[in-house]
Amino acid sequence: MNKKGLISFIIVIVLLFVATIYSVTSGSIQVTFTELVKGLITGTNNEVQVIKDLRLPRIIIAIFAGAALSVSGVLLQSVMRNPLAEPGIIGVSSGAGFMAMLMVSIFPTLFFYMPLFAFIGGALAFFLVYSFSWKSGFDPLRMILIGVAINAIFTSLSQTFNYRGSYTSSMVQDVTTSTLSMKKWADVEIMVIYGSIGLILAFLVFSWCNYLALEDKTAKNLGLNVNVARFVISAIAVLLASVATATAGLFLFVGLLVPHIGRILVGTDHKLLIPFSSLLGALLILLSDTLGRTIIAPNEIPASIIMALIGGPFLIFLLRKSDRIYGN
Amino acid sequence: MEINNITYSYDHKVNHLDDVSGKIDVGKVTTIIGPNGCGKSTLLGIMANNYVPLKGQIIMDGKRITTMKPKELAKKIAVVHQHNSAPADLTVERLTSYGRLPYKSMFSTNTITDKEAIEWALEQTNLLDKRNKTINALSGGERQRVWIAMTLAQQTPFLFLDEPTTYLDIYYQYEILELVKRLNEEQALTIVMVLHDINQAIRYSDTIIVMKNGKIVTQGKPEQVITKSIIKKIYGVDVSVKEDEQAGLFTIPIGI
Repeated sequence: MNKKGLISFIIVIVLLFVATIYSVTSGSIQVTFTELVKGLITGTNNEVQVIKDLRLPRIIIAIFAGAALSVSGVLLQSVMRNPLAEPGIIGVSSGAGFMAMLMVSIFPTLFFYMPLFAFIGGALAFFLVYSFSWKSGFDPLRMILIGVAINAIFTSLSQTFNYRGSYTSSMVQDVTTSTLSMKKWADVEIMVIYGSIGLILAFLVFSWCNYLALEDKTAKNLGLNVNVARFVISAIAVLLASVATATAGLFLFVGLLVPHIGRILVGTDHKLLIPFSSLLGALLILLSDTLGRTIIAPNEIPASIIMALIGGPFLIFLLRKSDRIYGN
Repeated sequence: MEINNITYSYDHKVNHLDDVSGKIDVGKVTTIIGPNGCGKSTLLGIMANNYVPLKGQIIMDGKRITTMKPKELAKKIAVVHQHNSAPADLTVERLTSYGRLPYKSMFSTNTITDKEAIEWALEQTNLLDKRNKTINALSGGERQRVWIAMTLAQQTPFLFLDEPTTYLDIYYQYEILELVKRLNEEQALTIVMVLHDINQAIRYSDTIIVMKNGKIVTQGKPEQVITKSIIKKIYGVDVSVKEDEQAGLFTIPIGI
C-alpha cells in the first residue's frame, strides 16, 4: 500500500469512530460520552436506555448498510466491468425491495424471512439486467439503460402498493423509503449477520475481481473460470444489496460514489478497495442519517435523501471526468 | 499439437472454419497468415480453448484440450491477445504476477517459485527496471512486452500470439519478433502466432500455415509456401518473390 492509501485508511477509520460517538450522543436526547458509557454499563440512566433502544440500532444498521451497499457496488462494477453499475441504478435494490414488500404483504407471518425474499427479488432484477444486456459482451451504455428500465419497473410496482390504502402501505414504507428510525435490535441482528457474511465473502473473492478487470479471454487463458467467478461475485453483490435494502431501505448513489472515491484514494486493487469501500460507505450513510435527524430535530430528513443530495452532483462530476481511472 | 477436422461457426449459418486440420511442431515457430476474415484468429482461439469447435478437436500431449481444467490448460498454453485492457494504475510487476494464477489456490500468497518466475519473465522481456511503473506510463511496445511477460510467468511450453505487432511502429514490431525468436531458441518455447506481414512471417517462422475462407490452403516451410502463385491465389495480389543475401527471401507487391 502506498502512503496515500495508508493515510486514507487511517483518516476514514478515525472519522468513522468519531462520527459513531457523535451520532450516539447527539439528537433530540443529548448525553455526554461519560454519561453514555456509565449508563450502558449500569443500566440506571433512563435517557441512555432510550438511546440504547432507539438510537443504537439505527446507527449499527446505518454502518452495516453503508458498508454492504458500497461493497455491492464494487462487486457489480467488477462483474459488469462498468463504472456505472450500482445496485440502486440497475434495479437490484428496487427488485429486492419490491419482492420483500410483496411477500410480506401476502404472507405477513413470514416477516423474518424478508431478507430471503429480498435476495430473490434482487437476484431476479440482476438476472434480467444481465441477460438483456448481454449481446456477445457488455455494452456499458446498453447495460445502464436496461438497468434504468428494470429499476423503473420495480419502483413503480412498489409504488402501486401505496395506493391500496391498506395497512400494508405503512408497514411497507420501511422498505421503499429509507427512514432508519424505528429500527429494533431484531433488525440489527438480521443486518449484522447477513451483512457480515456478505462482507467476508466479498473480501475472499478480491483476486477474482482483479482478474476480471482484464479482458474475459485474457482472464480465461490465465486459468480463471470466468463464468463461475462472475456468478459467485454477482451472488455476493446481490446478497449485500438485498439485505441492506430489506433492513435499511433504498439508498441511491452510495454504491456509485464510494467505490469511485475509493479508486482515487487507494487504487483499483480490490484487496484494498473492498475494505476501504466498506469503511467509507459506513461513514457516509452514518453521516447522512445523523445529519438527517439532527439538522431539524426533533423532525427527521431520511438518510437516503441526504445521500442523494450528495450523490446527484457527484454523478455529474463523474460523467465529466470518467475514463480517468478506467481503460489503459 | 494436432488440429483435427475443426469446424466452427459464430452464428451457426456460415462455417468460419471448415474442416481444418494441421499440425503444430513442438519447439518450432509456426505462423498463420491469410487475408482478413479468413479464420486465422479464430483458429488460434480454438487452439487456446477460447471457443469450442462444433466438430473436431485439438489434441495436446494426447489429450483433448476441451476436457482439460482451466488451470491445467493455463499451465500448458499462454496467449497474448491482440486487444488487452487493464486498470491504468496496475504496475508492471503486478500485472506480470497475474501470470501465476494457474499455480495459485485461493488462500496462498507469493511463494519463492512465483517470485522466481516473475523475475525471470521480467528479465526475458527486459522490464526489470520498469517493474514499478504503472502500465499507462509505458509506451506501446513496452506495454506489449508486459503482456508477454505475464504469459511467460505462466511458464508454459506453448506461447500463442494473436497479431502481436499490430498498432506498433516498425522498431517495436521487430523488437517483439526478436523477443519471440529468442524465447523460441533459448527457452525452447513452441510459438504459434498470427501475423499480417508476409515478410515478417517468412523471416521469423519455421512453418507457415496459409489460410483462406476458413480453410488451410497450405502448410510448410516459408520457402515452399510463399510463392508468386499462392500469394496471388490467397490475397489476389501480384508479387515478386526475391532472394537477397542479407534479407533472405522477401516479397514485394507489384500490382493487383
